[in-house]
Amino acid sequence: MSFGEAFLATPDLFPGRSAGEAWGERTFALRLPGGTCRIAGLSPAQDEAVRLRFGPSIPDRAGPPDLRVFRAAESDFRAVDTRGWEYAADLGFAPGSLRVAGLRLMARLDWSPAPCASLWTPDAGSAAFAGIFENVLRLLTAYRLRPAGGAVIHSAGIAIPGWGVFLGVGPSGAGKTTLSLRARERGAVVLSDDLNAVLPAARSGRAGGGGWTAAHLPFTGDLGASPRAGAAGALTLRAVLRLEKSEEDALLPLSRAEAAATLLASAPFLNRDPYRREALLADLLELCGSVPAYALRFSLGPRVWSILETLWNPSARTTSCGSVETSASG
Amino acid sequence: VEPLGTHHVLRIGGDVRFRVIDGEAVVLRQSAAEVLVMNEVAARMLELADGAAPVARWVDALLAEYETDRPTLERDVLELAATLVSEGILEPVAGEEGMGGI
Repeated sequence: MSFGEAFLATPDLFPGRSAGEAWGERTFALRLPGGTCRIAGLSPAQDEAVRLRFGPSIPDRAGPPDLRVFRAAESDFRAVDTRGWEYAADLGFAPGSLRVAGLRLMARLDWSPAPCASLWTPDAGSAAFAGIFENVLRLLTAYRLRPAGGAVIHSAGIAIPGWGVFLGVGPSGAGKTTLSLRARERGAVVLSDDLNAVLPAARSGRAGGGGWTAAHLPFTGDLGASPRAGAAGALTLRAVLRLEKSEEDALLPLSRAEAAATLLASAPFLNRDPYRREALLADLLELCGSVPAYALRFSLGPRVWSILETLWNPSARTTSCGSVETSASG
Repeated sequence: VEPLGTHHVLRIGGDVRFRVIDGEAVVLRQSAAEVLVMNEVAARMLELADGAAPVARWVDALLAEYETDRPTLERDVLELAATLVSEGILEPVAGEEGMGGI
């Protein structure tokens, strides 16, 4: 099936550039890792839907928009029966652009030189609009982090006060939300149980930064938003954990290659982009050269926390190369 | 199809990119989202698969690097190479390009 066929009535008429009739004159801005993101062309109802999802706009709305919203005709889209179906938008990669076709949305990213997005939708601002908008915003956020060497990672981001953040990385069903629940029970701050940003500290805006940082994104999974997560800012990334369900809880060192491959496989959109994947891998290898990585085998039970504590507890047993080797069974 | 032998010449698949990190290979395929990590021996084989030297030369090189006998190494290399060919990571150099296609 070629690009767009599943969603669009006439894929050949996919917009070739960022142009069209704006839905309205409302603007919105939100602060994201990678910089302020400005949105233009919203109708009042769309603006309201965006505010309900992301909170009030920040004042910094001047400047060229990073995302423009345009009208599309309902007839541009196919009726899709979504029962029992896992939604994944169709992506068309090219060296200087990226096309997206999905449920009642067409979007494109163009590099000029920073990535800017355009969204065409027939949705005037219903509850579904927030979902359409967020799908495009997730994509734009992932690409906007790239010039700074950063990435969006499917992960549970857990902040331990006074220490930093660890990312629990894995596909759907790996245990990200369960791990986040365990973390909340112990008083840790969950940045997001779905998507988190990683950035070189020197590019994250944090003063005196070496190493890497992790930052909250306004995209959550099953757990919903944590009230303290948004205020956390960029925090030191201390460890990457590849989540593996197991009957026995254990934390085992991961090689740099395995860690980088795990992160790359968990980097949405970019992990499928043949034009930008190798550059992302190079950055992730750099991350894995300075941040320790482990495989966390865990049984989804509360016992896992005693193992995780060895990461930030100075009395944890360490090997000569600094890696933690511990397990709990039974 | 002729079984893979040490006289065959193999090269990296056209849509495959790899990097060797601390002895292991991270392998990307342009046509798929998957990311593979391969062990030290597989990583060396990817480095040796230059599309010019036959598999026998890989065995020569690996014999100098690992403490094993030639028949065992030859068997292991051919087995792994066949797997990599079936996965599209390696591909045979056909006809006049190489020293014998599969």
